[in-house]
Amino acid sequence: MRKTTRTVIVTGAGGVGKTTISAALAIRLAEPDRRTVVMTVDPARRLADALDLHSLSNEPSPVPGVPGLWASTLDATASWEGVVQRYADPDVAERLMENHYFRAIADRFPAAQSFAGTETMATMIETGSWDAIVVDTPPSAGGLDFFLAPSQTADLIGGKLLRWLTGAQLPGRRFLYRFTGKPLLKIADTVLGGALLEDVAEFLLDLRTMYDRLAARAATIQQHQRRATTLVVTTADPAPVAEVLRFFEELTDVSISPSAVLLNRALPLAWADAAGRPLRGIPNPELRATLKANLMRWGGEARRQATAMEGLAGRYGVPLLTVPWVAEPPITVDNLSLLLDDVAGLDPIVGIR
Amino acid sequence: MLDRRLLIVSGKGGVGKSAVSAALGIIAARRGKRVLALAMVGSDGLASHLGVDSLAYDATRIRPGLYGMAVDRSHALDEYLGLQLHIARSLPTRQLSNALSVLADTAPGIREIVTMGKPIFEAWSDRWDLVIADAPPIGQLQSYLSAPQTITGLVPTGAVREQAARLETTLADPQVSSLVLVTTPEELAVQETREAIAEIDTGRQILISGVIANRVLDPLGVPQDAIVALPESPARAAGLLHTGLVEAQALWLDSIPRDDRRLPFLFGFHTPGEVAARLADILEASV
Repeated sequence: MRKTTRTVIVTGAGGVGKTTISAALAIRLAEPDRRTVVMTVDPARRLADALDLHSLSNEPSPVPGVPGLWASTLDATASWEGVVQRYADPDVAERLMENHYFRAIADRFPAAQSFAGTETMATMIETGSWDAIVVDTPPSAGGLDFFLAPSQTADLIGGKLLRWLTGAQLPGRRFLYRFTGKPLLKIADTVLGGALLEDVAEFLLDLRTMYDRLAARAATIQQHQRRATTLVVTTADPAPVAEVLRFFEELTDVSISPSAVLLNRALPLAWADAAGRPLRGIPNPELRATLKANLMRWGGEARRQATAMEGLAGRYGVPLLTVPWVAEPPITVDNLSLLLDDVAGLDPIVGIR
Repeated sequence: MLDRRLLIVSGKGGVGKSAVSAALGIIAARRGKRVLALAMVGSDGLASHLGVDSLAYDATRIRPGLYGMAVDRSHALDEYLGLQLHIARSLPTRQLSNALSVLADTAPGIREIVTMGKPIFEAWSDRWDLVIADAPPIGQLQSYLSAPQTITGLVPTGAVREQAARLETTLADPQVSSLVLVTTPEELAVQETREAIAEIDTGRQILISGVIANRVLDPLGVPQDAIVALPESPARAAGLLHTGLVEAQALWLDSIPRDDRRLPFLFGFHTPGEVAARLADILEASV
């Protein structure tokens, strides 16, 4: 029987703890009689060990110790190969797979990893075999690329470069070998070397034959994204906060509205209030002085966090949830499941009763 | 670190590489050098740590001896084609680079060589004693450092190949260029730093002249047991967080190879400009 899948997309800038939170959330969502999967991107080694992920693979494998949970690590190259095999004619697919630019471009185009992620997410939703999917996103453009990649990829393939190289009409392959007839191309050819330009053009021309099918695919992927619950993770540091603001500004273009912002590594504001008061119950004067000075510093940090978050909370009508700062990042499935225990308001947003 | 003409600064995103780039620029300028701090991609971080709103493709004076600049790829492509490849002025360079900028987005190595070329061109210029490049994050660094090799591998002959070979030689010359990696004592940052060092040791594109550990916490100097024994309070909780973080950091600090500089975690309210100035003071005092 096909299942209706609940999809949670966890996005945000690099280094804010997206992957850890995705894993923790998936463990929270998992139930023995349901099928939950977490798609990770580039997990830290110890987290990968905890999830028993040892190589890039879009194929989910069971997480030891958590009945009902599977995990995978995005393999962007495999995702692109899948795209080519699904959406290109067989002869084109074969040529593309042999083209030595294929890998290079799939790796280099800034949104390529993001597109691979969206495509893999969509494919998993469409299998109808998952109750819940938690999607960790590549950090490109603060997570924004994950939502813009479907249309950007279609644009690239239908785009300017190809029209410039080949003219408005989709030309026959033989046209390519005459393209140095154009003066501009002649210069480009001299500067870059003919072989390079020709190879790139040929590659793009092959991709172009997939355009209609890819554009339709991009539209489907965007529908999946709009139906998903999107959580934006940040820390209180200026750079990720700026990324969150940009994210909200630009996301409206693709009709995505995040369900919550998660402030990771949050400090209790009570520390800021307590920092000025005398400490009681610590008889040893040296210990008292040390802990007082320490609380002053961390209380100041808590205050700084609160100030930084003022600009975010409520601004877009989205709840701001806090995930406490823990000394050692959680790296076992038991620690992970504790991480989100005290995050008030999270469960209803992600559909946990 | 500051003795050569070109210093490239990289690290995992979010570890503070723009702050450290700005701090190194401040120190070098204090020592009487003519310094250019240049943002290779995304200039907001470097601009704010230099205390200015934005940086442009023309050098902006920050303070005596210190200038700031941001690489803008379309300008850089113009310069690359026009100035560096000596394409005859009669040719429509602007038009050509407009058209080529689309290609630069897709063809392997072009984007990177144009961006990587700029700090090297500036280092060739007599205008500066030192160019500090705030480079792309460590995950992308390799494709920038190896861009000249990528191009020489792809383009058999001609001006582009000659130019790429010249860039490669400058980067690899330990008298002229070096790389500093910034990290924090955390798993992913250290892991990526170690991987980058291993790759550069193999590829030998550039000399690594230092690794800087940023946001290092000082131990409290009281035993953790004494804190654990206290009744619950914010002071106890903050004490345990601190000692726990120090313990976790110690583990990662131990595994940072060639860790020769440590910068402290800066508590409290600081503007980005103050952060760079504080880091500069601390780095200078430690030398």
